[in-house]
Amino acid sequence: MSTATVSLFAALLALLCLAGSVTVAVLALMHRSRPDSIAAGVFEDLRPLALWLAWVVAVATTLGSLYFSDVAGFIPCKLCWYQRIAMYPLSVVLLVAALRRDRSVWVYVTPLAGIGALIAAYHTQLQAFPDQSSSFCTTAAPCTERYVWEFGFVSLPFMALMAFVFIIAMVLVARVPAAVSSRSTDSDLQIGVS
Amino acid sequence: MTSARRATPTPTTPGPNRTIWIVGAVVLVIGIALVAAIVVSSSNKAGSGGTPAGSAGTVVANGSNETATVSITGTALPAFDGSVAVDPALGQAAPTLTGVNFAGQSVTIANDGKPKVIMFLAHWCPHCQAEVPRIQNWLDANGMPSGVDLCAVPTATTSARPNYPPSDWLVGKNWTVPVLVDSEQSEAANAYGLTSFPYFVAIDASGKVVARTSGELSMDAFAKLIDAARTGKTQ
Repeated sequence: MSTATVSLFAALLALLCLAGSVTVAVLALMHRSRPDSIAAGVFEDLRPLALWLAWVVAVATTLGSLYFSDVAGFIPCKLCWYQRIAMYPLSVVLLVAALRRDRSVWVYVTPLAGIGALIAAYHTQLQAFPDQSSSFCTTAAPCTERYVWEFGFVSLPFMALMAFVFIIAMVLVARVPAAVSSRSTDSDLQIGVS
Repeated sequence: MTSARRATPTPTTPGPNRTIWIVGAVVLVIGIALVAAIVVSSSNKAGSGGTPAGSAGTVVANGSNETATVSITGTALPAFDGSVAVDPALGQAAPTLTGVNFAGQSVTIANDGKPKVIMFLAHWCPHCQAEVPRIQNWLDANGMPSGVDLCAVPTATTSARPNYPPSDWLVGKNWTVPVLVDSEQSEAANAYGLTSFPYFVAIDASGKVVARTSGELSMDAFAKLIDAARTGKTQ
């Protein structure tokens, strides 16, 4: 596969993350306002999958970022590195959490992914409007350089932002215990229960 | 820290099991995205891929020279530092550059008695990308400056960075300024003391540097740079 193909595929995945996050937000609202609706049912069915979906996104983002730097040869800038630092551990942490069905993992994941999302949001707007940082590029990798620019707005930091947002949405979906959770016997890890 | 450290497994599966459908839908949508990406990018495939042609330079599939050997004579200019009040390069003779343009025709930047403004551009730099159409619009409106030669040097050229090759970029912007392509090692840019992009050097009729600047220029500043080269007066 060429770099152009991978870039386009990654951009589409980012848009899917966006669509998924919006859908989950709507389902969560439906679940709260109309617990008997089909949407609420779908939301319940999503719960056992949420951590796995979050993990899949973290792994795909990690591998994607490694592809762009090590295979495509794009040089990561400083802000790229900060986002990588926030994303890479999630691909391990979320796997452990998914295997253990640890619903309280949101306590650890939301700060990490939240910081990553903030940096990614800043970087996204910087690539969209590059004039604000300086009026020139240095010979090193500038943060304003658009390695990927699909559909006129999807950059690499935009993809990272969508991944962080989706991961946050998923760990929050997993957070609230399912309706049946009153049967749960474990009190040790229930700090996330609202 | 008790033995009950394992989190609670979800004890039941929901009644109508839609979980499998959710998984199926996710896999299906990802598969569609992959197929779409492959189909779209293969139908977009243009005939321009980087073909390294030895150490002499890079010629892409359409025959354009993206990098090429540049021979340099004269003393290199000191590295440009915009924070210094008086540029130490002012008054120094600019090195002579001999190389080729995208089409492989010989181009020389030498002390030929004509003032000149040389622009160093990196194809991947967003500020260069913003500056090029601005300069071209200005040239379209005002015509090529009389008595001052302009020359663009595409430098820091690499197929690993976006907006490659620079010939496609500049031709796409209807660029009319003569081009001298830099070498793979950016030797021409180094000889002129480049530290950032875009980078401009104004040279007077006697071949001396009269102004150097880096960063996006307003068209007023660009016109002043041309005047500085023409009059030989530093600003």
